[in-house]
Amino acid sequence: MAEIGHGGKPIVERILAPAEAAAKIKGLKAIEIRAQIANEVIDLAYGYFTPLQGFMGKADVDAVCEKMHLTDGSVWSIPILFDLTADEVKNYGVAPGVSVLLTYGGNPMAIMEVEEVFDYDKKAMCQAVFGTTEEKHPGCARTYGYKDKFVGGKITLVQKPVINDPYTPYFIPPLEMRKRFADKGWKRIVAHQTRNVPHTGHEWLMKGAFFQSYAELPIDKHYVGVLVNAIIGAKRKGDYIDEAIILTQDQLRKSGYFSDDTHMTSLTLWDMRYAGPREAVFHAALRTNLGLTHHMYGRDHAGVGTYYGAYDAHNLLATVQDEINITPVYSENWLFCPHCGEITSEGLCGHKNEWQKFSGTLIRSIVEDGVKPPRLIFRPEVFDLTLECGEKYGFGSPFVTDTYLEKRVPVFSIPPMK
Amino acid sequence: MAEEKYPINIWINEERFAKLENAGLGEMCEEMLAGLKVLRVYANDAQKDKILKTFPTAKFDSATTKSIELLPRKVKDLIFDKIVEKSSVDIMDAFLQAY
Repeated sequence: MAEIGHGGKPIVERILAPAEAAAKIKGLKAIEIRAQIANEVIDLAYGYFTPLQGFMGKADVDAVCEKMHLTDGSVWSIPILFDLTADEVKNYGVAPGVSVLLTYGGNPMAIMEVEEVFDYDKKAMCQAVFGTTEEKHPGCARTYGYKDKFVGGKITLVQKPVINDPYTPYFIPPLEMRKRFADKGWKRIVAHQTRNVPHTGHEWLMKGAFFQSYAELPIDKHYVGVLVNAIIGAKRKGDYIDEAIILTQDQLRKSGYFSDDTHMTSLTLWDMRYAGPREAVFHAALRTNLGLTHHMYGRDHAGVGTYYGAYDAHNLLATVQDEINITPVYSENWLFCPHCGEITSEGLCGHKNEWQKFSGTLIRSIVEDGVKPPRLIFRPEVFDLTLECGEKYGFGSPFVTDTYLEKRVPVFSIPPMK
Repeated sequence: MAEEKYPINIWINEERFAKLENAGLGEMCEEMLAGLKVLRVYANDAQKDKILKTFPTAKFDSATTKSIELLPRKVKDLIFDKIVEKSSVDIMDAFLQAY
């Protein structure tokens, strides 16, 4: 029986068997793609972006920008684009009806069946998706950086990516993820979106969402799980390195702060667009495809700077709630109250004048000052592993440096074709 | 209306605490977040802007803590040394004179 994903459409893996793949790529023009496109090729081929099966054509981009829907009627909030220069279109012979081979690291990755080549007004796209045209918005900067021609068409992998250590256990595509949830007997699974090493504020966000999602279900067994779905993609200097993020999230379970029955860690390959409310809607589609039933949303979800209000994402989600198959779980900020002597939430605690708020940025400052935070704030196992990751993967630092950007082990590779 | 003030948290590691003790300033520390020792140095709007411009890695945490974070450790060491020198956390003007 088909697994049904976002938009009520079946989740389809578009991956050729090796023997068939070798024959199909013969004679195709090869186009080398960059990391962002390679990530999205994987997402499209494994069904993370269901109902999309390829890069968008103009009608879908129009519908997404103007109505936040695809032409098939499914809610969709962010254009999924494959860009080329006009010269590349000409030189590679990219045209409707032509198939091309997409290579990554010089090796065959996917076939694209070109359906359309089109232009698009990038400024109008920015206004629609990000609510601004300012170049300093990172999503706009990315959009303005796209080449001038866009190519729509279906994607089929000709080789599965080889996921490199330490990421291997965390790459769990939608169909496999749904099997894992069934094996665990989870009836409700709540998504935790993250790009951070977890402090106890994050931990309590997850624990709070676990309770909210559990609601009226029986407690004879564990029927609710928390899925950490880390967004792994383009990095900026000063971010935590990817290895530290994914391994420390899982460490919360390994160290017993969550039981094996209630917690799982995974990754999705995606370059954040910082689209705030629209990225929140995108996350709803993505996590629906992964088989989640609930999704945590805090204040200023996936926002940047002061572009979006604290609850803009919640308000936008409410406009499409009847059309999506995931229940938002809204989370208040968690903080330390010295009077209570514990982590508590803004809604629960009455000692407002004593609250001590902390953030990932503040914790990073503590770590950079050479101080080990107390276990109530930052779990010692997470702290130790963060520093260990810095030594093992980060060239001496758990934060992204120029050396890390240059020499890091890629999350995945495409091997030469046999 | 009172002028807005933005804290820079100088977290007190063992090395810094030893220096404070030697200077007889151990009592200056506040305690935050379940036992961390910290010295809080405040910047006004103009000083905040100058700090963010002078030290590009620094970030103003506008969403949660309203504090200036991610100053390089060496810079925080300089701020700390100025606190010890002046026996006061009211040193931002003096510190920024060098920039």
